Amino acid sequence: MTTETRPEYSSVGKRETRIEGAGKVTGGAIYAADVQVPDMLHCKLVHSPHAHARIVSIDATKALAIDGVERVIVAEDFGQAVKDGSNPAIDASNRGAALLAHKQAVFTGEPVAAVLAETPSAAEEGVEAVEVTYEVLPHVLDLEAAMEDGSPLARPPVSDIDHSEEEAHVTLDVDTEEAEGKPTNVASHVSFTRGDIEAGFAESDVIVERTWRSASMHQGYIEPHATVADFKPATGELTVWAATQGQFMVRDTIMRTLKWPETKLRVIGCELGGGFGGKMTLNSPLVAALSVIAGRPVKLVLTRAEDITAAAPAPRAMINLKTGMKKDGSLTAIEASVVYGAGAYPGAPAAVGALLGTSFYKWPNLKADGYEVLTNHVSVGAIRAPGTHNAMHAVEQNIDEMARQLDLDAGAVRLQNVSQTGDPMASGQEFTKIGLDETVTQAIEHPLWKNREAAKAESTDTKMVGVGLAIGGWLGGLQPAAAEVMLNNDGTVNAVTGVNDITGTNTSFAQILAEELNISLDQINITTGDTKTAPFAGMSAGSKTLFTVGRALREAAIDLREQMFEVAADRLEANENDLELKDNAVSVKGSPDQSLGMDRLASMTTGFGALYKPLVGSGSIAARIQAPGFTAQLVKVEVDTDTGNVELKDFAIVQDVGFAINPLSVEGQMEGGAVQGMGIGLWEEYIYDDDGKLRNAGLLDYRMPTAADVPDIESLIVEVPSEDGPYGARGVGEPSITAGGAAIANAIADAIGARVSEIPATPERVLRALGTVGDGAEAAGS
Amino acid sequence: MSRLIVSARINGEARELLVDERDSLLDALRERAGLTGTKEGCNNGNCGACSVLLDGRLVNSCLVMAAEVEGSDVTTVEGLELGPQQLHPLQSAFLEEAALQCGICTPGFLVSAKALLDTNPDPTEHEVRFWLAGNLCRCTGYDKIIRAVMGAAETMRNTASSSEGA
Ligand code: FES
Ligand code: FES
Repeated sequence: MTTETRPEYSSVGKRETRIEGAGKVTGGAIYAADVQVPDMLHCKLVHSPHAHARIVSIDATKALAIDGVERVIVAEDFGQAVKDGSNPAIDASNRGAALLAHKQAVFTGEPVAAVLAETPSAAEEGVEAVEVTYEVLPHVLDLEAAMEDGSPLARPPVSDIDHSEEEAHVTLDVDTEEAEGKPTNVASHVSFTRGDIEAGFAESDVIVERTWRSASMHQGYIEPHATVADFKPATGELTVWAATQGQFMVRDTIMRTLKWPETKLRVIGCELGGGFGGKMTLNSPLVAALSVIAGRPVKLVLTRAEDITAAAPAPRAMINLKTGMKKDGSLTAIEASVVYGAGAYPGAPAAVGALLGTSFYKWPNLKADGYEVLTNHVSVGAIRAPGTHNAMHAVEQNIDEMARQLDLDAGAVRLQNVSQTGDPMASGQEFTKIGLDETVTQAIEHPLWKNREAAKAESTDTKMVGVGLAIGGWLGGLQPAAAEVMLNNDGTVNAVTGVNDITGTNTSFAQILAEELNISLDQINITTGDTKTAPFAGMSAGSKTLFTVGRALREAAIDLREQMFEVAADRLEANENDLELKDNAVSVKGSPDQSLGMDRLASMTTGFGALYKPLVGSGSIAARIQAPGFTAQLVKVEVDTDTGNVELKDFAIVQDVGFAINPLSVEGQMEGGAVQGMGIGLWEEYIYDDDGKLRNAGLLDYRMPTAADVPDIESLIVEVPSEDGPYGARGVGEPSITAGGAAIANAIADAIGARVSEIPATPERVLRALGTVGDGAEAAGS
Repeated sequence: MSRLIVSARINGEARELLVDERDSLLDALRERAGLTGTKEGCNNGNCGACSVLLDGRLVNSCLVMAAEVEGSDVTTVEGLELGPQQLHPLQSAFLEEAALQCGICTPGFLVSAKALLDTNPDPTEHEVRFWLAGNLCRCTGYDKIIRAVMGAAETMRNTASSSEGA
């Protein structure tokens, strides 16, 4: 797609299968729940059954009488685990510090006590026997009600808001104003303005104003949260095996929460069974503290019900959107009120939603307000491109509806208006080099879009066919990273990074080394070190793993090559500029007999009495230029107008990845995110009762897409090179989830001529949009 | 809590396991037999991560009591390899087609796909998709898994016909 000619590469850019996958197909790969430590205690948690309640008393007498139950720990005990005796759980205002609820529980399922026992079943029995007396407090669940004056407060006022998880994904250049003064459930508010929206609306030929809702959802990882911590009282060493996307983040969180010296703390990021933004630090500080208090290793593996109920799902959103367009398709103004439900602790991506929702098109006039609102639900965490799919669902339905009302081609309208390199975002910050234009172009040239009228003609009386298009994207995270590459005595290369490989990033890393050192993949080993042995790397999150650690590795490889050249130049009495690295040797260009093998070079730098220093290449980078990645997605649906059921017939995802270092794994990221988008569009939703209890805390009722639900996905890679990524690569992990829900909503509208105002588009919502059940008030364009 | 001894053949090897009477087969495999390749995603039959073959039949091991497998044959992901360092065609195909990312679902998919191909060596894509609907994968979007299973089926059919011809 790109017009720029790309250099010839020997290794990067090729489809490569996983270099280290065998453990995952033979059952040998070790995930956190597989870790066994001798003399280990098993932890199970006691959960609050109330959405909001004062904890009057916790009586562990009966639990402690059970054979095998060793300890019952409550919030007040944590002082024993903290170096200076302070207790982070006392009056904790952020979820990270609230190891266990103190004095009051603010959502159903919040852990209030931890039972430690010799076996998991004894721990379970112990949980049943702990007697907690609660005094139920008024709760608030509805977002609008929570924002009203005089609403019950979901929790005591919040002082310090922890945005570290959100920031792990995206680097935002905005100031968020945090609630001050009168206590309110609005934990933070951010606002962006440009131009004059009233003037913009005045010159519009069509204005669409709607309220759009999207549900809270689970990240969907198949491996529940798991942590093992082993404190050795004799040495003071604390070792933690964690299911986490970021072992250094776990280390730093434990260091801060328990005031623990990092010299005595080793965090081992195990193989991770999926994270998608949901596996950060959740239980690690708790389990670490429990091990310190008990003086023994402790293991905590959440049950699926606990993980769905009380981990950190992605937020719901309520977005009021007013947009205008002229007859020629140009945009006039956008006014957005973007409300994200944070649950009972702050940390929802309202700033992301308000910013991204109003930045992907060129709006001459805009006003966007993002609100993060507290309610008595489980507090939220990140998901792939946190907050973005909610915002795109709203914006893309509005764009589509304006085009429909003006009888314009919704694809052409998008192409006409999408942001380009250098255009300002809502915050004023300018887009770096982006390929949104190229991405939309490729989507609207796709047969699925071109032949949409023919597709609609396939409709029958009760099966209506429609095609939908939506765009999405992600700015990309930034975080410094370092890596090391060492030459071995047999001429092979070992590299060490500190980032957990979830999806195959180590293979792409090896491709980078193979490229720079002109060697083959089987000569390369990549080790993920733990937090004591690896050079720093940020989390495997925010679409930045390859973008940042890949660059560090590339620099390390170049450093290693230069060091090899230095030794070879001295030894061969040649000028470094005349040397080349090929066929596993450094040789003088044009005289292949003047050459030193890589194995020889290595032994000349390691042998007893060797004259040269060991060859260790280091790379260390601070990524400063974001490389936003955009997607456009197309879906064909068939809506059964009798039942409201929506069937997905065809799906295509177009995505600008900058440069696909390993197209095979890039496709995997695109397809996986696309299917999550399908879940967002049709099935996935947290359903609570009026008391704030989750009604679908299992994988049968919380319905994720199966192989039988989804069509084949066509993945189309666009490559508009980024300015700063390795070989022009952009982050690929997040954009793929951002557009599917919106594309499905638009396809449904195309099929039935009416819009669902809330996703997932369940049969009931589709029938309501059709006017066949409920108030029928959701006709198109209302 | 009462304990009992269960004798079963696990991956072709006669084993005696001391289990808790409340243990599921999944618990027994992971905690007592040290076979942690079989994964727990839900513990109530909804994710397929714990799939194993019980006397050749596909089951969710989280739904089977350990005590029930007395005298049975159990095959887990650890038992799929054809020989030392010799992957089953399904295992090779999963690697070649990039049918896994995080890999937590992979043991379940492999065992489940084996059960399918054992009875239906030439399934259609539709049949594969529906057979595997009991196994959840959150990473791949399923496309590459379906392709891997179809590819492995073909490899296995070719091997079978060439060895018949020999
Ligand atoms: S763990 Fe058995 S089906 Fe999920
Ligand atoms: S590869 Fe991660 S769940 Fe399937």
